[in-house]
Amino acid sequence: MEAALFTLVAILAGLGIELLSSGAGIDIPGWPFNLVFLLLFGGLILVVGLMFREHPLVAWLGGIPLGLSLIVGLALLSLVGGVLPQNKFPPGSMVAMLRLNGMFSSWPFALVTLLFLFNLGLALVWKTIPFKVANLQFMLFHGGFWIALSCGLLGATQLERLVVPLYEGKASDVAYNRESEKAIHLPFSIYLKDFQIEQYAPKFALYDPEHDRLVEPKSKLVPEIGKGVKVEWTGIGSVTVLDYLPSAMPGANGVPVAVDGKKGVAFARVRIDENGKVSDHWISSGGPQLKPLFVPMGNYFIVMADGAPKAFRSDVTLIGAGGERKTETLEVNKPVDFYGWKLYQSGYDESAGRWSTLSLVEAVRDPWLPAVYVGFFMIMAGNVLFFWKGVKKMEAA
Amino acid sequence: MTLVEFPAIALAAVVCWAAGSLLQIPAKNSRIFGSLSWLFMLSGTLVLAWFLTSYWIALERPPLRTLGETRLWYAMLIPVVGFLVEYRYKIGWLKYYCMGLATVFLGINYLHPDVFEKALMPALQSPWFVPHVVVYLVGYVLLAASAVSGWHNVIQNFRGRRSEKGESMSHYLALLGFVLLTFGLIFGALWAKEAWGHYWTWDPKETWAFISWLAYLGYLHLVARKTDPRKLQWYLGLSFFVLLVCWFGVNYLPSAQNSVHTYSG
Ligand code: HEM
Repeated sequence: MEAALFTLVAILAGLGIELLSSGAGIDIPGWPFNLVFLLLFGGLILVVGLMFREHPLVAWLGGIPLGLSLIVGLALLSLVGGVLPQNKFPPGSMVAMLRLNGMFSSWPFALVTLLFLFNLGLALVWKTIPFKVANLQFMLFHGGFWIALSCGLLGATQLERLVVPLYEGKASDVAYNRESEKAIHLPFSIYLKDFQIEQYAPKFALYDPEHDRLVEPKSKLVPEIGKGVKVEWTGIGSVTVLDYLPSAMPGANGVPVAVDGKKGVAFARVRIDENGKVSDHWISSGGPQLKPLFVPMGNYFIVMADGAPKAFRSDVTLIGAGGERKTETLEVNKPVDFYGWKLYQSGYDESAGRWSTLSLVEAVRDPWLPAVYVGFFMIMAGNVLFFWKGVKKMEAA
Repeated sequence: MTLVEFPAIALAAVVCWAAGSLLQIPAKNSRIFGSLSWLFMLSGTLVLAWFLTSYWIALERPPLRTLGETRLWYAMLIPVVGFLVEYRYKIGWLKYYCMGLATVFLGINYLHPDVFEKALMPALQSPWFVPHVVVYLVGYVLLAASAVSGWHNVIQNFRGRRSEKGESMSHYLALLGFVLLTFGLIFGALWAKEAWGHYWTWDPKETWAFISWLAYLGYLHLVARKTDPRKLQWYLGLSFFVLLVCWFGVNYLPSAQNSVHTYSG
């Protein structure tokens, strides 16, 4: 009861601060003050936990009832942050004044988290000192959570996520901050040798212009183009792919001829059978200089659409300030480390699609990441013990 | 096998489960009927497992991308929890709820057919994809079973038929579910670092995963406080609604506009 009231007061106090500052949010101090703060806060918990363990107020501050109300408080604040779109309200609106649109950097969230860490920290001190092996699971789980949460939040001010636009055949060391759009020079430059996109096979479909929709084939599949594929539409007719050229250009007499991968567009020769009326045609998805080709079938059209991107990658050479060179391929899910930065393939010029010569790379630096990962692995280790203990207890039950 | 065969497969599974359930009546007096009943119930699940395997092969990627695809996994796995609970606790009623729930999932997929699409966006092509989703999937299955038995216990309580065994079952299901939820959350964070550049961005899906995790964390602390288990059955029953929002409700919230997770819809 007192615990719930206490949590509510913390939330209201946080909202009050936001209102007074027109929803400015909390500015977590940067290096080295975030580390100093963490050490002082940790030290305070240790001292209070060890010296005033018997004091009823301190026992309450580190007890489960308060922990529970803070969990509920944290869940409620996250709920608001998980329902309202973040960063989407005009300044001056009530939502923005209370910073409900920037929940995870707001005072109420910060205050509840701080109390939460204090409460969790006290419980942790008491379970750790004196050390007992029986408490190991508790220490790993709770200690891991304490470290991950505190280091994740305090380290956020030092997290840098920059966009690096690269053009084929050029080197650049200029990166941009997404929010401020300020240009920053990286301690190395990146030369983009080649940017490539791999796509899934193109699809074809029966388009109904009258209702602006695609007609579902009898098989309910989205047909992928490939030699020999045959698709039927009930009552309308069928289409058989006679030939498929993934990359081609129209030749002298208008007939497509296969060309080198990067230049061409997809063509397919199809046999259309409209209930006995058979004819052969070329269809194509089109490209930068070529219009798409589609053919009528009754009141409908057979159209071809490019496949979704399957993979995109940049062949780059990284050139350090000291002259060291490293040849790498950047690909989604395969970041590369260089000079303390992690480089990610993040995007390209989507309007140019397969023909993009622009590659967007993200450069990320997060000095607190190792601490957060230590927390994660402690949680996982505690989790394994918890699982094991749970299964044993379940067997006993 | 593709979605063309799905209605027949779903029907076969449901018929197997129904036949197996009906055979439980004569099974009370006869071992032969008992074995026959189990043969049918297990066959229903095996039919789905077979479908999922061949669908995986046909798709050339794990069928774990769309909500419809994950529903197939739930339909296969939820009855398994019911069967295991009966094997372990000798509690028979849970399996009927489980097969009923699985039938509902198959029904939803029948009414809203998925499209057969091989495409897997580059961010999903990662060794983390299968473990992350499967861990969550199994976690959700266990928590769904825990919620169902929570509700069952609530009703039995009203009727003055409290069962401590039933309460301990919903507790252990929730506990195992929480362990998997925790792994799912952390696997997700580790993967996000590799794919998107940061491990946590308060994306709506992440936020809701955190809220559901807190809900069950709250449960464990209520247990640690020695709260009356009868009240906790309500809690387990209700927590699952939070999980439902996280599972598919997120897509309908205002916050979902700029989520990186909308592909899962
Ligand atoms: C808010 C601060 C917290 C406090 C004061 C607190 C305190 C406690 C206490 C006293 C117990 C009982 C442990 C026992 O008797 O063995 C407990 C159990 C537990 N706590 Fe926390 N906890 C807090 C936060 C957390 C967090 C953040 C997590 C998750 C990362 C967590 C996960 C658990 C689990 C899983 C158990 C069950 C352990 C068992 O039964 O062996 N707790 N907690």
